[in-house]
Amino acid sequence: MIIRLLSAALAAGFLAAVVVTGLELTLTSPLIVAAERYENHETHQAQRGLPIVLAHAGHDHAAPDAAPEWQPGEGLPRMTFTALATLVGAVGYALLLGAAILACGREPTRQVGVAFAIAGFASVALAPGLGLPPELPGSEAAPLATRQAWWVMTAAATGMGLYLIAIRRSLIAILGGLVLIIAPHVAGAPQAPEAASELPAALAAQFAARSLAISFVFWLLIGLGFGWAWQAFARGTTRGTAHA
Amino acid sequence: MMTSRIAAGGAAGDTMMTTSTLAPVATGTRAAERPVAVALAAFLGLGLLFMAGFSPAIALHNAAHDFRHTQNFPCH
Repeated sequence: MIIRLLSAALAAGFLAAVVVTGLELTLTSPLIVAAERYENHETHQAQRGLPIVLAHAGHDHAAPDAAPEWQPGEGLPRMTFTALATLVGAVGYALLLGAAILACGREPTRQVGVAFAIAGFASVALAPGLGLPPELPGSEAAPLATRQAWWVMTAAATGMGLYLIAIRRSLIAILGGLVLIIAPHVAGAPQAPEAASELPAALAAQFAARSLAISFVFWLLIGLGFGWAWQAFARGTTRGTAHA
Repeated sequence: MMTSRIAAGGAAGDTMMTTSTLAPVATGTRAAERPVAVALAAFLGLGLLFMAGFSPAIALHNAAHDFRHTQNFPCH
């Protein structure tokens, strides 16, 4: 079961990463690059991309005068690393999806995969996105650590809430699940400081919509792919030499 | 190991497509493997996601930058 789970997650992650990398490179990366021009303009930095590094200066050990940290070159290297990161993230999500399906005692089929994938999308994209909308470089935002903490807490609470509602299904569980899903939003996401940004609102809105759409496709493919691969690997191991 | 489950599915599903999505899987002798598989997958999955989405190392952040923004991980 361990090998089958890891293999199915790898296959599903790879499938989703191939498609979603294409979507990222055509739909969101151009918007990010466009936003970085405003970001660079705002911070009066001539060197492209440097503000990304400087934005972290408060959190990291690097002295302000330290040499610029490594970053992929523009163009193909940057696309390659985006693809690589998408693959790593996709396999990570696929492993978690598979773990969740098995932990809930379900047989991973394509239908079950899609159902859990929708829950995954709701947990890590939709719910955190309600409080912290997908944002472009250069947007004003609260400190990184508090946003990451709220993001993780919201994703975990939403996932647990959906589990209580969809799988436990008792009255107490459903009420508890609703509380878990709503609580992070009542507590409220870390608020960005009020400040004017030169980033056009249309660009930010377009990015937020595309980001959520891509996340949805990402999760659907991971769920479908995992269900398919899980079944396919079972056939492969039981039939064995029958194909030969 | 898997043949008993396949045989049962084949016998039941010869007239129509039945999707027994709610049937538990852990009926075989390998049921004890499940918690290990779940824990291992969860651990690996969280590790990969941390690397791609949360790692504070600047090189990892810069490499995964566009992915992080698109997938709405909090980013700088």
